[in-house]
Amino acid sequence: MQAIDTPFLLLFFRAVARRLEENREALCGLDGEIGDGDHGTSMANGFAAVVSTLRDIDAAKEPPSAVLRKASVAFLSDVGATVGPLYASALLQASRAFDDRPDLSLSELSTFILALADGIAVRGKAQAGDKTMLDAWLAAAHAARAQEALGARPGHVALKAAEAAEAEARATATMIASRGRAALLKERSLGHQDPGAVSAAIILRTLSDVVSDLAEQAP
Amino acid sequence: MSAAPTDGAARNADRARTKSPGLVRSALRFGEDPLVWASWLYYEEGLTQGEVAEAMNVSRPTVNAYLADARSKGIVNITISSERLKSLSIAGRLQEHFGLDECLVIPGEGGDRSLIDRLGAAGAQALGSLVHSGDTIGITWGRTMLAVARATENRDLKDIRVVQATGGTTAVIEYTPEACARRLAEALGARSIPISAPAILSSAEAKMILLSEPVVAEQIATFDQLDRIIFGVSSLRANSTIHISGFFDSALQQHDHYHNAVGSIAGRFIDANGAQVDGPLTNRTLGIELDQLARVPTRVLVAGGYDKVPAILAALRGGFVTVLVTDAATGEGILRADGAETEAPRSARPGQVDRSADFATRSRVKKFINAPRDAVSQSLDGALRAFPQFIAPIGKSLQAIRSSTAPRAGKVGLVIGGGAGHEPCFLGYVGPGLADAVAVGNVFASPPPDRVLTCTRFASTGAGVLYIYGNYTGDVMNFDMAAELAAGEGIDVRTILTTDDVASSAAEDRAGRRGTAGNVFVFKIAGAACDRMYPLGDCERLARKANAATFTMGLGLEPCSLPDTQRPSFRLGEHDMEVGIGIHGEPGVTRQPLETADAAADRIFDRLMSEMQSLPGARVALLVNSLGGTPMMELFILSRRIQQRLAARDITVTRCMVGHYCTSLDMVGASVTLMQLDDELLDLFDHPCAGFAWQNSPQ
Repeated sequence: MQAIDTPFLLLFFRAVARRLEENREALCGLDGEIGDGDHGTSMANGFAAVVSTLRDIDAAKEPPSAVLRKASVAFLSDVGATVGPLYASALLQASRAFDDRPDLSLSELSTFILALADGIAVRGKAQAGDKTMLDAWLAAAHAARAQEALGARPGHVALKAAEAAEAEARATATMIASRGRAALLKERSLGHQDPGAVSAAIILRTLSDVVSDLAEQAP
Repeated sequence: MSAAPTDGAARNADRARTKSPGLVRSALRFGEDPLVWASWLYYEEGLTQGEVAEAMNVSRPTVNAYLADARSKGIVNITISSERLKSLSIAGRLQEHFGLDECLVIPGEGGDRSLIDRLGAAGAQALGSLVHSGDTIGITWGRTMLAVARATENRDLKDIRVVQATGGTTAVIEYTPEACARRLAEALGARSIPISAPAILSSAEAKMILLSEPVVAEQIATFDQLDRIIFGVSSLRANSTIHISGFFDSALQQHDHYHNAVGSIAGRFIDANGAQVDGPLTNRTLGIELDQLARVPTRVLVAGGYDKVPAILAALRGGFVTVLVTDAATGEGILRADGAETEAPRSARPGQVDRSADFATRSRVKKFINAPRDAVSQSLDGALRAFPQFIAPIGKSLQAIRSSTAPRAGKVGLVIGGGAGHEPCFLGYVGPGLADAVAVGNVFASPPPDRVLTCTRFASTGAGVLYIYGNYTGDVMNFDMAAELAAGEGIDVRTILTTDDVASSAAEDRAGRRGTAGNVFVFKIAGAACDRMYPLGDCERLARKANAATFTMGLGLEPCSLPDTQRPSFRLGEHDMEVGIGIHGEPGVTRQPLETADAAADRIFDRLMSEMQSLPGARVALLVNSLGGTPMMELFILSRRIQQRLAARDITVTRCMVGHYCTSLDMVGASVTLMQLDDELLDLFDHPCAGFAWQNSPQ
């Protein structure tokens, strides 16, 4: 398994669901400071629903594009909220990146990340610097693309993407929210990290861990 | 007790009076509390600490400790009332936190003059104290720099040179590098050294050729001779100067190169830590290099405005600044963004002294729940069992709920919805004369599109469907997706967003406001219109009219806690309240010292009236709503005051509701909603309805 294929996605979603569950309360806490406090719940529930929907699929038969479409529907119909449409759109956009291909090469990781970021951008209509999850996703996508252009190995690409997302999530503390509920706080949002950017960084760190685990197992 | 320690004259006068015998009172009236006694003698009577010690028959160090204790326990609150003092305090903290040589912070409010003009004046003032005869001064470009140059006065300095720190531009802006340098040179009676080349060249080769021109080379060489540089920083946000000035070409849009950049100094880009970000422009930019800039002995950054916070912070972190000139609000934002202590010294902040405000020390909030994840579904299950005459589940999901009475054919359907946690909103407003169906999300989270669609199908009888819900990013996305799906099934859906919360946005941005307790009035009017079998267009018009006539403002006294965390969702000191609170447990728009019920009611009333401009003789519906934790007893106290104020204005409260109508879990706080009534709205208001939270009997 050296590609982004159905088994990879199943592994990835399970790991994301686990990490978000661990961070459920912490994310709710962050959100409570500047939003309505539901972010951890929505994220953890959403990916739990994805995992539960995908539990019984036949990995040999389902192409990744179908898996991502199912994940998109599962996420959205479980949580709604603000993150529902955003991550549903991200997963749908990612499914389009596959077309009918059985997999994407791990060397095309940036395409996968960029597609997810794109889906969020299109649905949320936020811009870079608006203090949203998009900031972390864009930082990761740019970092991944830059690393791939340099010919870095997939494990390194994923690591740099995760680090970029984490740095950007920290940097959201210097931004004034201009989208979502935190925007009502205006300058009072300064000094608080955006919970959506933090959860995005968690997802990207998980992606990095999954990719490097695979790289280690590779012959 | 409050006291002004700076008020020396009055203090001496008091002290003189206390010299007369018999004025030192016994401890009796202070009870057993030496802190109060010591504080009274020192702050109110103006005794010295030695005199207090004598009067209390204790040692002077003991008095000193009493006074410190009194301040830390909040018995004595010293308020810094002047904006000026606040600015001084922020300047001090900025200087300390970032290791600056000097920091000048102007007050947040400055009358009619724009922030840029005021920053310009402050920059000029800073320059005045930093520049000496014989200095070579660099200046960059931009609105703030031009304001500095304009505000600078000739102080009869000799042999000053002013160097344009970058090449020029032909962009159609007033504040070009040439203009900024020339203007400053004129103001100082200095020699101006321009750069006879553009700031951005067509290629790196062109730049090399120009640099080899002796005139340009000589001009550029002055960059290394600068004694001072005064510079601005540009944000890279979409609407910032750098994008609209035409200074840079479209290369800036090549995000692959500059996505890490958060700001620009002298045409160079820096990341969040102040490290230079290189890209296609680097070798085509002609101006002072950042490392050259960093070697100038005195480096004055003049910048303000929230959008510049990341850029200013980057410049500070990068070590480019020895003197910062900014405004109080931005300065506070910078400190907060860098995680620095932004609170004034503890003793100076009433309400900040209490340890119970500390999140970590607050205990878990007790709740009647089983597993947190089951809280919503078990609560809905309970509601459905409690009120079967009003509501029933549509399908298997308990979160798509219908009126027990099916809509009549030809009636416009009304679908409402939103997160759980607002009970009795929204399901209490489902039933005849109200909504046909409600989509319920998780706590404070929008319901997903398919659930809204389920409700839409139930409500639709072919006459069209209204969606009415609060204006929140998540709800809008989910309901809009549902509306698209419904349109695909041939259902004509019209959406009305409630926007009654006056605190959430300025009056000009009515459409950007959020929907809070005013929801209830809009549901009622729209439900009545639908029940009267009005056509879709009329129902939509009346719902919009109701929303436009409805204004709400809320105050929070304690945060709420979610089932998932069972902890307060934010911190709020014991003497503080949140003003402009919504219905999602979020902090309000500002935090203020706690007020009495009447003062709080007045604060709300005055704000609502400033929006409504209701004339004498007007009629209103009044809703005094608990956010969950505030009891009826207190709601009546607030309601009484609002009624008094309305009566004084000769405004008639035609309908009044007091209670839990739209809540925010267990948040302690209340909101006041006023809807301006005319005959049409009053008629619909009184139309019969039967939801479990609102029943009007047929008249």
